[in-house]
Amino acid sequence: MCTPTPRGHCDHHDSHEERPFARGLGELRTGRRTAITAGAAGLLFSTLAGTQVARAAGGADTRRRAYVLVVDGCRPEEIDSGLTPNLHALREGGLRFPRASSMPVMETIPNHVMMMTGQRPDRTGVPANAILDRELGAIRDMDRASDIKVPTVIERLNRRGLRTGTVLSKEYLYGVFGERATHRWEPMPIVPVAGYAPDVFTMQATLAMLEEFDPHLVFVNLGDIDRFGHSDLTGTTLQLARRTALAATDALVVRFVEELKSSGRWEHSMLVVLADHSMDWSLPTQVVSLQAPLEADPLLAGNVVIADNGGADLVYWTGPSSRRAEAVRRIRAIAEETEGVLRAWDRRAEWLRLGPEAGDVVVFCRAGWRFSDPDPLTSNPIPGNHGHPATRAIPFFLAGGHPRVPRGKASSAHARTLDVAPTVASFFGLPSGAALYEGRARI
Amino acid sequence: MTTSETTPQSSPVPDSTGPAPRRRTVLAGGAVGVGALGLRVGADRATAAPSRPAARRARVFRHGVASGDPLPDAVVLWTRVTPTPGSTPGSGRGPSVEVVWEVATDPRFRRVVRRGRVRTGPSRDHTVKVDATGLRPATDYYYRFRLDGQASRTGRTRTAPAPQASPDHLRFGVVSCANLQAGFFSAYRGLAAREDLHAIVHLGDYLYEYGPGEYGMGADNVDVRRHVPDHEMVSLADYRQRHAQYKQDPDLQDAHARYAWIVTWDDHEVTNDQWRGGAENHTPGTGEGGEGDYRRRRARAHRAYDEWMPVRLDGTAALGDGARLFRRLRFGTLLEISMLDLRTYRDQQVATPAVDPAVSDPDRTITGARQMAWLKDSLSRDHRPQWKVVGNPVMIAPVTFADLPDALVQPVNDVTGLLPGDGAPYNVDQWDGYTADRREVLTHLDDHQVKDTVFLTGDIHSAWACELPLDTSTYPVVGDSLGVEFVCTSVTSNNLKDITGTPPHTTSRLVEQAILANNRHIKYLDFDDHGFSVLDVTPARAQMDWYVIGARDDRDTAITWSVSFATAAGTSRIEQVDAPVGGDA
Repeated sequence: MCTPTPRGHCDHHDSHEERPFARGLGELRTGRRTAITAGAAGLLFSTLAGTQVARAAGGADTRRRAYVLVVDGCRPEEIDSGLTPNLHALREGGLRFPRASSMPVMETIPNHVMMMTGQRPDRTGVPANAILDRELGAIRDMDRASDIKVPTVIERLNRRGLRTGTVLSKEYLYGVFGERATHRWEPMPIVPVAGYAPDVFTMQATLAMLEEFDPHLVFVNLGDIDRFGHSDLTGTTLQLARRTALAATDALVVRFVEELKSSGRWEHSMLVVLADHSMDWSLPTQVVSLQAPLEADPLLAGNVVIADNGGADLVYWTGPSSRRAEAVRRIRAIAEETEGVLRAWDRRAEWLRLGPEAGDVVVFCRAGWRFSDPDPLTSNPIPGNHGHPATRAIPFFLAGGHPRVPRGKASSAHARTLDVAPTVASFFGLPSGAALYEGRARI
Repeated sequence: MTTSETTPQSSPVPDSTGPAPRRRTVLAGGAVGVGALGLRVGADRATAAPSRPAARRARVFRHGVASGDPLPDAVVLWTRVTPTPGSTPGSGRGPSVEVVWEVATDPRFRRVVRRGRVRTGPSRDHTVKVDATGLRPATDYYYRFRLDGQASRTGRTRTAPAPQASPDHLRFGVVSCANLQAGFFSAYRGLAAREDLHAIVHLGDYLYEYGPGEYGMGADNVDVRRHVPDHEMVSLADYRQRHAQYKQDPDLQDAHARYAWIVTWDDHEVTNDQWRGGAENHTPGTGEGGEGDYRRRRARAHRAYDEWMPVRLDGTAALGDGARLFRRLRFGTLLEISMLDLRTYRDQQVATPAVDPAVSDPDRTITGARQMAWLKDSLSRDHRPQWKVVGNPVMIAPVTFADLPDALVQPVNDVTGLLPGDGAPYNVDQWDGYTADRREVLTHLDDHQVKDTVFLTGDIHSAWACELPLDTSTYPVVGDSLGVEFVCTSVTSNNLKDITGTPPHTTSRLVEQAILANNRHIKYLDFDDHGFSVLDVTPARAQMDWYVIGARDDRDTAITWSVSFATAAGTSRIEQVDAPVGGDA
């Protein structure tokens, strides 16, 4: 096989691949989607071609609205920290799930995909942010619409004639959900270098989408808490940047709620508010790099590739398949002898449910550590990371004024990211059982 | 022991009268205050409450009835029979007899759902222990035993919710350290008077090994009641007689008859400060004062415990099939209790008062390797319930340097062992003496981001509410906490004021404030009171209420609410709350 391109953390992009926003522009040029500019801010939205036909054919009369707000990377206890009074009030007023969790690998893309598909990664085809694409011979982000192998609840709603919208602040999320939604925010005017849009723009776009299209389902990713968490050099102690982001995002959420209330939508709405994963911080001295110890092994040298996912390394055996079993044993043994490693799993371990895209061995780091592969210094210099079990707990609650949303209750049920899709489906009266979803409806 | 004495025969009884009635509305309110307790009691208590032993049955069933280890479909039922006057505990005398047991959904036994027969005799000290199976989840049951035409008092118990049930709340009485010589068991009376509990958790030191005059009430060791036998328990007969004496206490009998108990042992069920190879209060050898081989003594203690307690050792109610006490009890998706055994597998405590670096030796253990792996699995396995309650016989929260006056160091040590003579920060008998194991547990919570872990602790005759930082040095700045610990005080065993002989809340206040000032993660500390606690758990929070008793030597002493602390779900932080659950302050 060709020599894979060594990759660092999930924020990197393949230089020779067209990036998602660029692909989106292509879709607009080819007429697959229609562009609409909304409001004084010049926000750009695109709409699926043929949507008018679907609306005419569907039963879109319902006044019900579902909004899935992902406060990316938020830790559950941060809702209680006093920095997010509006999220706290929203949570206390609805149905909350203190036992909620993200699912492996605790990264952004796979968990957003689980939210919308209700399926685990061995079915969705999306196990992590960064994988080795064996066909491509390179590590890449899972940011292609074709990466998702199963239907999403977005498409199921579309087929029922219900309007859907995505307002996704991160470029790879924009990419992986592609053209699925009826209406999509095209954040080209404000794309920052980091590949995501700050929450103030994301929320502006969300409100504009409500005003312009009033979709039945809107799927929103608010990325500031995560992004500020990644880069916060005071994360292990003071969390200065992180705390600022929490307060700012909280203020934006209340704007959204106020808009629902003032526009009369609240009484018909269900909000699903959750995180995709939480966040953990490491000092520069708490870095694990497996590339060197694996390369030092005679069998493994030149035959392994690592896809670094922050708190999780996906290790791929690229040697002859006849020696795969032996290689897996040695990779696991070497990894588990490395300081900072929590556990190295055979990817086929039943509980992981990650599928072949995740490679051969999945290595998790301990709390307070991170991976930096292949280069221990440059591949992943950011202090805030996730992907490992220490970033598994998430906030997850339902709010809104619709009568089906319980008021002021807590549930000990183990809610997971993959419960979002069946919850939304159930809310709209669509089938939500085990035949379609592995997750469970929480309403 | 003969086979015929250990094999219960049971059969389901067709339920001809429909489903069992639900626990009365006292769990949801609708109650009246009673006496000084101010606790809620159901309006129809007189008809539903188990009755006190009546004279006719007093001869045969003089040790009461008990239940324990509730599962969704089973509960352990216990009694002891005295078929002849000579069949006294520990005597090894008396006939083999067949005892009938019955389980019903009503207190008058009109709807008997399970019934069986079991043989008992002198080989098992005439104790009866049955694992009643085939029951319904989250259901109140009434049970009794019959022998020779006489029936025991009626006990009441309750099964655990189904594994996937989501109860709105669960409520447990919490107790530890009941020294019969040091006073009356008013704390048990307080628990028995409540109608709102699901079970009682006993965290160890259910009984004490000492002889009369050795460990009584206060600094002068006044024996409010004298232990039987009149010497330290060492032989199997000794342990049996001591268990029998405790089981005749009326307050303890009432508490056993009213609720299922979930128990673990600490050291005094065998002898003081025991570890896997010995104990502080054990003299090896056969010479003058020798108490023989320690492990044989411990085996005898465990045998008597297995006979006399409503508990499954090694997962069964059978005798002699193992002594593993650590176990899990699940209560739906809301809660699971992992009961620890921190005596049987631990290494010897390091010598006090010296500060020995061995307290941090990773080769030393308080749990043992197997129990540690099991505990970690309890805390982080994928399908665990929301709240992880750990029945923890000795305190896990670190208690670091406290700058106390020298004169107070020894009295504090007498109660808690917290402060070696040089003022250094370790109680080497609790997790502070095995810091590598503690770090392994806390690191595990951190590595797996385990939320909602509550350590429920006894042992040190004082009340504590603590957060659990991984690093106490950074806690004041970072405030990270990985769980919480609630420590109940003793039923009767001496605490600080008892040792110093000073009025309550005088000398102790100084000690408490010094410890609180030097340990910011400790939010509450009461060195002076005795009593019981109530743990109430909902999906939103876990709350511990502390109740305190008056004079230990007053059988009818008042019981009052003292203080309450709660931890909100997902936070691992503690806050004081204004009122207890289930009753008026």
